[in-house]
Amino acid sequence: MRTPSARNVPALLQALHEEGFTGTVRVSGAPGGTIHLRGGRVGAIETPGAPTATSTLLASGRIDDDAWLAACAAEPDADRLGHRLEATGLIGAAELEVVCTAAVYDGAFAMALRPPGDWELTDREPTLLARPGVEPRPLAEETSRRIALLARLRGPAVELARGRPAPVADRAHPASGSGLTPRHRELVDSANGRRTPRDIAFARGRGLYAVMLDLIRLEALGAVRWETTTVPEGRPSTAPRVPPRTVTSADEPSPRAGPLPRRRPGGGFPTGDFGARDGE
Amino acid sequence: MGERVTALQDSLDRLLDSPGVIGVALIDAVTGLTYGTAGDAAQAGTGTEVSDLAALISERLGEAGAVGELESVVMTSRRRHQVLLSVPRSAGDPLLLAAGLDRDRANMALALRSLGDRAREVLA
Repeated sequence: MRTPSARNVPALLQALHEEGFTGTVRVSGAPGGTIHLRGGRVGAIETPGAPTATSTLLASGRIDDDAWLAACAAEPDADRLGHRLEATGLIGAAELEVVCTAAVYDGAFAMALRPPGDWELTDREPTLLARPGVEPRPLAEETSRRIALLARLRGPAVELARGRPAPVADRAHPASGSGLTPRHRELVDSANGRRTPRDIAFARGRGLYAVMLDLIRLEALGAVRWETTTVPEGRPSTAPRVPPRTVTSADEPSPRAGPLPRRRPGGGFPTGDFGARDGE
Repeated sequence: MGERVTALQDSLDRLLDSPGVIGVALIDAVTGLTYGTAGDAAQAGTGTEVSDLAALISERLGEAGAVGELESVVMTSRRRHQVLLSVPRSAGDPLLLAAGLDRDRANMALALRSLGDRAREVLA
């Protein structure tokens, strides 16, 4: 097993991008996740924190379960499942590209809400892929932008993700029902005071970030109440910490040459992972 | 790995055939993520600005009593039209097709009709 020693996940992905790596990066932690790379590009991210493209397509009803199962049976290699879905007319290639690309960005956002643990590289694992995939640098930049925007609009994203929005009972309020788009009305119906934004995203087959943005808008309109609790926790940096490419010494270790960061008993996350912790 | 034209890029490139269209972008109306561009992307606008504008207009229309999703927005300056069109899809968050048009070369009525027809085909 290879043992990359990049300082954080974005830097690791950037190094793997430059190598044209095909395989899998397993990241531990909460939520953690699995990042699938093909030719150095991120083709899919699976994390408990956000719906995958598959979850999105099925939960939204875009593709029904029976048709999906038939396609999976006909094409056992999930890397090629997209071609099968297109060939059978279940979804167009451009729409599938949109769905899979959105899921990659959303998965990266969900994984960045909390600091990751260790990571390891494994061989390719078949999965439904965004084609041609997303380059790591714009992925990291968009993830940083999203977290910064939520912080500016409403507060730390990690606290928002823990909140359980509820509908405002005051039906006399003009924004509590009428005047909302169908999408917003569905979201108000889903926000029952018990579900987190993640729960709603999975239930509706929508992206976590999109749900959080819509909830902020609905709160501003007075249609939902979204109380959050403050728990001190550092947000991991998502900026790639790869030094500018210069002439490198042959003795200089490559980003993948060092030992695998290991947890120490009671020591929490290893330093140098997905961003510095507590200002380190 | 060689770059190949994706189905989405091919769809967007074809929109440049419409008279006067100088740049287009397919944008997520909720997140502002730009899925693809063709031509002079700067004339179509940045994803976050376009989605913010569409959201603002949609909310104000809703407050004023309008029902349903926003369909289109047309902004006109001395030399350019900027058009935002909702891209129909059967499921999923709404998408916007943003297009920049050269006023000297575009007949607005025809361009709107042409882009509206082609917007339905972008996700094919």
